[in-house]
Amino acid sequence: MRIWSQCIKELAQFRRDRLTVALAFILPLLTLFIFGGAIRLESKDIPIAVQDFDNSPLSRSYIERLYSTNQLQPSIWDGLGTAQTAIDRGFAKAAVIIPPDFSRRIKSEQPITVQVLVDGTDVNNARVIRNSIQATTRFFLKTEGLADQPLINVHSRIWFNPGREETLYIVPGTCAVILWIYPSLLAAIAMVREKEQGTIVQVYASSLSAVELILGKGLAYLIIGLGIASVVILISILIFGLRFAGDPTPLLVGTPIFVGSATLFGLLIGTRVPNVTTAVQAVATTGFLTALLLSGFIYPLSNIPFPLSLISNIIPTRYFIPIIRDAFVRGTGWLGVWFGLIMLAFLSLLLFNAARRNLSRMQLPD
Amino acid sequence: MFHKLIDRLLNSRIWALAVKEINQILRNKQLIFLLVFPPTIQLLVFGFALSPDVQFLKLGVVDYAQTQTSRELVSAMTENQIFVAQDHLFDEEELAKQVQLGQVTAGVVIPPDFDRQLQQGETSEIQVLIDGTDANTAGIANGYMTQIVQQFSHQLQANPRPMLIDPEVVFLYNAGLNTTWFFVPGVLGLVLTLTSSLVSSSAVVREKDAGTLEQLLMTPAEDWEILLAKIVPLFILMLGDVFLALTVAKLVFHIPFRGNMLVFTAVSAIYLFVGISVGILLATISKNQRQVVLTSFFINLPLIQTSGAIAPIESMPTFFRYLSLLNPLRHYVTIARGFLLKGVGIMELWQPILALIVFAIVLLTFSVKKFRSQLS
Repeated sequence: MRIWSQCIKELAQFRRDRLTVALAFILPLLTLFIFGGAIRLESKDIPIAVQDFDNSPLSRSYIERLYSTNQLQPSIWDGLGTAQTAIDRGFAKAAVIIPPDFSRRIKSEQPITVQVLVDGTDVNNARVIRNSIQATTRFFLKTEGLADQPLINVHSRIWFNPGREETLYIVPGTCAVILWIYPSLLAAIAMVREKEQGTIVQVYASSLSAVELILGKGLAYLIIGLGIASVVILISILIFGLRFAGDPTPLLVGTPIFVGSATLFGLLIGTRVPNVTTAVQAVATTGFLTALLLSGFIYPLSNIPFPLSLISNIIPTRYFIPIIRDAFVRGTGWLGVWFGLIMLAFLSLLLFNAARRNLSRMQLPD
Repeated sequence: MFHKLIDRLLNSRIWALAVKEINQILRNKQLIFLLVFPPTIQLLVFGFALSPDVQFLKLGVVDYAQTQTSRELVSAMTENQIFVAQDHLFDEEELAKQVQLGQVTAGVVIPPDFDRQLQQGETSEIQVLIDGTDANTAGIANGYMTQIVQQFSHQLQANPRPMLIDPEVVFLYNAGLNTTWFFVPGVLGLVLTLTSSLVSSSAVVREKDAGTLEQLLMTPAEDWEILLAKIVPLFILMLGDVFLALTVAKLVFHIPFRGNMLVFTAVSAIYLFVGISVGILLATISKNQRQVVLTSFFINLPLIQTSGAIAPIESMPTFFRYLSLLNPLRHYVTIARGFLLKGVGIMELWQPILALIVFAIVLLTFSVKKFRSQLS
């Protein structure tokens, strides 16, 4: 089989280049630790500054209640200047200003306004802070007997991830981003190097067809990509504590298709660019940017605005992220993810076709 | 006197070298492309695509009560477009299935005796379930849901007691919670880091690749002159990039420039030296351009992810929060947000500015030393 021998040759070449081997295995792990470890969206222990002009038992117990959740904590602000200076200088993310007649007015059943200044630069956490302060205030009024018993109680349950652990959201997404970028990067380098070193002429002269070349190279990098996949997923399970939530077979089927599409994308880039440097930059800009930003990795897909949302429809990572999240968090299985798998297979075919046509037209650099 | 100075400058070796560098850069189309295209695209895509808004979440409704009040409750939930009601569902089992399949993000179940309980003054309990796969969105959605129901419940009271403490929340700096405002200053820093390190490393390594570095060394020029002549034109070009990025930020994203922009430009100039030093270091430790682009992955990835440009520093686990103090980009992003959004100045930001100056001096000295030791 010519495809197989092409694949063997490619693997032997890969093994000989130490920088590439390091790239293939150290970089994905580094990415996993940094993305999986450092990316968190929701703040805990947000420093807030409190200015208590009332200084009564009631105001103090209100402040205590604010700090009793794991979300807010006292800032290291020294109390000099206005509360806004603490936010200006970044010591506090919010300030609560309790007016002098706080307890007097509450005791005489008159409503009182408490000023809450929230740093709006970080929009996500600004919302978290507002919700948290409003919820604690209601809870405080209720426990102090200062509010009516509510007529409607909300009994809410968070499914699949009751503790709302962000690792369960971020780490599977990180795996998907890694499995998109590195296999495509390696494949692009392998393809463009034939061109750079002129060995593509020998390939042209041989009886190997374009399809066989792509399949052979693709197979080699698919094998390497699956190696990366098993290492990355295994580390996610061992270190980040991911567990299969249900039927793992959709993931087992989806991963090879997804890694295959990444490899084909890399081969396609490799046929289009003149040298390795450009190849790396092309993969880094197009591949990285789209996998990171247009895939629903950080914020929900539905938040991507109109013209960009069209692009996100052809990003394979966008279809793989729900599959891997389903395997580790939701656990619905085939019924929930079949559409994504079909899209992945379809996009792989498109990429294969594009790579094949480009390869037949590929020119040598002058 | 002044004339003499200019004459001396124009006749100096360093001037000749700088002119050579500028000519080389201007002739290099790839470099010009790198200076203009990726920064613009990155700013646009990051700015538009990243949005933490919680809106239009699909809400499955199981309304066993089917009364006027229960319908009012549902419309209160969907009023602000945070939740959008999907088709009314038949029973809880169907709702559970829809959540399982990811067709709805949240669900609410209103009990059959909802109205009767309310009329008798009893507390009625409604069930809310939220898909927690996206932990962050789930938390915010849960907060909104509780608030909406509590407000609704308050209005139902026959004789409502006023809400005695009314927290009046004011969002400083970004009253409309415009999401792009958080990301654009961060991406500004990210773009400057990537571009300055990439462009400076490729300018240095190209001489190495082509073997012309040895030729330069044969000339009477001192090695510091060679390096200075390399850095200065790059620095000027990168300043152009700063203005390009700021123009995009202003025209496309309407970022308010609230601080002193002159000072901000000066701080950005200091930051450019950090990026350029990183580039020179990369070029010094790599043999050729291919190695430069590959090793830059090892440096830029951690630099960007621990900078707070994409995800806020305050949210990171403690270890990474402290680690980020060693990251010059983190300080620059803090400064950029301070100047552009908060409208604060040196008084408030002296700590990160000082940190940046220290980083610039240390990195520049180190990279120049490394470069010179490699030459000799």
